[in-house]
Parts: sequence; structure tokens; C-alpha cells
Amino acid sequence: MARDRQTREDYARPIRRLLVGLLVFVLISIFAVWRIDSPRVERVRAAVIDAIVPNLEWAMAPVTGMANLVADFQSYQSLSAQNDDLRRELQQMRAWREAALQLEQENAKLLDLNNVQLDPKLTYITGVVLTDSGSPFRQSVLLNVGAHDGILDGWPTMDGIGLIGRISGVGRNTSRVLLLTDTSSRIPVVIQPSGQRAILAGDNTIYPPIDFLDNPDLIRPGDRVVTSGDGGLFPGDLLVGQVALGNDRRLRVRLAADYERLEFLRVLRSPVTEVISDPGSLIAPVAPAPQVFGPAQPVAQSAGGTNG
Amino acid sequence: MAEVAQPRNWAGRATFAALACGVIFVQLLPLQTLPPSWAGPDLLLAMTVVWVSRRPEHLPLLLVAALLLLADLMLQRPPGLMATLVLILTEFLRARTVSFRSLAFGLEWGTVAMGIVAVTLANRFILMLVMLPQAPLGLTLSQMVLTILLYPVVASLAYLTFGIRRATPGEFTTLGGRT
Repeated sequence: MARDRQTREDYARPIRRLLVGLLVFVLISIFAVWRIDSPRVERVRAAVIDAIVPNLEWAMAPVTGMANLVADFQSYQSLSAQNDDLRRELQQMRAWREAALQLEQENAKLLDLNNVQLDPKLTYITGVVLTDSGSPFRQSVLLNVGAHDGILDGWPTMDGIGLIGRISGVGRNTSRVLLLTDTSSRIPVVIQPSGQRAILAGDNTIYPPIDFLDNPDLIRPGDRVVTSGDGGLFPGDLLVGQVALGNDRRLRVRLAADYERLEFLRVLRSPVTEVISDPGSLIAPVAPAPQVFGPAQPVAQSAGGTNG
Repeated sequence: MAEVAQPRNWAGRATFAALACGVIFVQLLPLQTLPPSWAGPDLLLAMTVVWVSRRPEHLPLLLVAALLLLADLMLQRPPGLMATLVLILTEFLRARTVSFRSLAFGLEWGTVAMGIVAVTLANRFILMLVMLPQAPLGLTLSQMVLTILLYPVVASLAYLTFGIRRATPGEFTTLGGRT
């Protein structure tokens, strides 16, 4: 028996080695294909997640609820301190409310005078956050709305106040929101009073830095940051946050949206979105046919010649 | 070999698969949406190396590859990269399970730790080579160190709850072959 087993192992070992090699080859080629043609493999990923996660919702909801309950219970301990803070904040908010009411009336009057029609195209779909990215290195959440609800890649996502991120990866019933804090998130923004354009580049911290700024001297902490609408990526004038000066003396953005608890998100139906279908044309768009200036073509000249 | 189906092995494989799916599930829960300042350990990697250095017959190749590829897809990692590296690590450790049996735990831990360091560095190096955006170095390092520190914890928990321990020299399988 033992000898029989020995011979069998001798046969099995090369086969096993072959299997290891084959598996490594398959996995490496998946990685290579993903690196070369990311959109297609990401669609496969979205389909896999779409097939699995909605089936787990029954289990995820109670577990998440329990965990949040525990977190809430811990926050009861600092209740009185919170109470004081809230009272102080309420005082300030009352003053702001007065100001807002006056401004609203004034705004309504002015709109009426100018006969302005607000853009009706920006409607939204609300989705519930199912999961986060599951990894400390990636910042994204999964929503329970997908292609079935008409979600398209690239649409901006907000919570009640500020921008959260954009849709990147749509399955049938789920879609992934790439948060502004992710290392691969780049959003064109305008910094408000000075009107300077810049790029908000996520770097896996809660305060993403501002990149490609023309003149940093015109910017001061507290300035409003809104989306610029450049490149057809986002509609303009969505609130992103305020400029803040980081510990490393870089200009960063304090995001207006509440990232601490992402629960319900609004996906804005953006009128124009860039559809990413293949990787090639992203790098070099197809050039339009060159316009010819100068004297007319020889054919046209000969035609003129017969006329004359 | 792997073709000799033993009910105990199948139960062990199912246990590991269920545990791995559970770990992925817990990681996906939307509890932490703020970017963290440090990264927790990679529990799935720690479990895989514990199992493969103690009970390699519970961890057939295809199961490891399938679970890790699933984790890559679900956790938004570059698909296939981490799976390849961990697969190679498990093969490396699998070849050393026999020598682990008579080794002090410290030496086993050291070998595994070197393996985890190699996987982390290789991952970062390949990402750099193909010019992908990298996670901050501090996060990667903290995850690596915590995963290495977690190894004895997972090993003892696996022993206490599932009886996963090193096969003693001279232990026999039901078919009469030496393990």
C-alpha cells in the first residue's frame, strides 16, 4: 500500500507542478488583461459583485445596524459635552437662519424680476450604501441602484450637502461610487472668490489636496470649492467643500459632505457624461478631418475653367 | 494525494472556505467610510498561511486560487495580482510543512514572516512597474507588520476552535500512508 502510494506521488508531482504553473499563468494574465483593458475587466468585476452582494443584504443590514448601535452607545458617554456644543451651534444657526430667510426672499424677488428658469435637468436618484470597498487602500462604496434604475458611469454622487464622488462601475442592481478621497479620484474644481481652476486629487486622507493650482497666493483657507464642469465630467457648481491649510503646508479641501456616515446618497442625473468604452481613444481622441485653408482644390479650379 | 478523498479533508476545506467568505463579508460591511490613518491586518492572508503550514491538505490549490481571486474582485484590488503572489507563497510554505513539524514555533513564524514581507514588497514593486497608483507606504507597512503579528494569534485560535495543529511526525492517514 505504502509503495503504491509512493509511485502515485511520483506521477502526481509533475502534474501538480504543471497545475501550479498553469494557475499562476492564468492569474497573471487576468492581471495583465486588467492592466491593458481595464474597463472590460472592471465590468466583469461589477457583474460579480452585482451577483453576490445583493444576496447578502439580509445579513449585512442587521450586522451593520448592531455595530452602529454599539457606536451610538459609546457616544452617549459624552452626551452632556455634546449637548453644550449643540446648544452653542444652535445659537449660531439661528443667526444664519435669519440671514438665509432674508436672502431667500431677495433671491426669489430677483429671480422673478429676471424671469429665470432653473435648470430642470438635474434630477436625482437616491441609493442606499450596501458595502464599502473592504480595503483600507481603496475608498469607494457600493449603492443598491444600478443599470436597472438607469444609472450611468460617471454620474456625480452627493449626500444632502456636498459632493461625495462619482459612479465608477455599474452592475445591474448595484453601482460603485468612487469617493473623492480615493487615490485615483481626480475632479476639476473652481475655488470660488478668486475663480481659480484646479484639480482635487484624492490621496486616501480625509482632506484631499488641491493640485495644478495656478496661483496659490490668491487662495486662502475658508474659500469655497465647487466643481467646475470642465471636461464634461460633472455639472458645474456642485459644492465640494472649503479650502484648508494642511499640516504639511499644502492646500487641502475640507469636504462639505459627511463622510463619517454615508448611508443615503443622491446620484445626480448628469445631462452630459463621458462614456468610457475603450481605453485607446482616451489617450488620443480621434482627430477631426483637417480643414484646408488657401487656394481651392485643383478639381474645383478645372470646373471653374470650363465654366469660363 | 489530493485525489484520495477523505471526508475529514472535505470538511476541513469547507470550513476554510466558509471562514474566508466570512472574513470578506465582514470587511465589506460599511462601518468605516473615512480613510483610515493605519491599516488593519490582512486576516485572509494570515489565515491562509496558518492553514497551509499546518494542514496543507485542507487547502487545495484551486480553492486557494478561487478564494483569493474572489477577494481581489470583491475588495477592489487589482484582480489576480495578490492571488498570484499568495498562491506562490502557499506553494513555498507547502513544500516546507514537513520540516515545520520538527521546528520551533519561532523559526516557523520567522519563515512565514519573511514570506509575508516578500509578498508585500513584490506587490508594491509590480504595482510600481506597471505604473499603477500606490497606497501610502505607511498603510502598507502597518498592514504587513500587523499581519505578521497576527500569525501566532490566528494559529492558536485555529488550534483552539478547529483543532488545526501541526501533524506530529509518524501520524498516519486512514489509508496507511505517512502524512
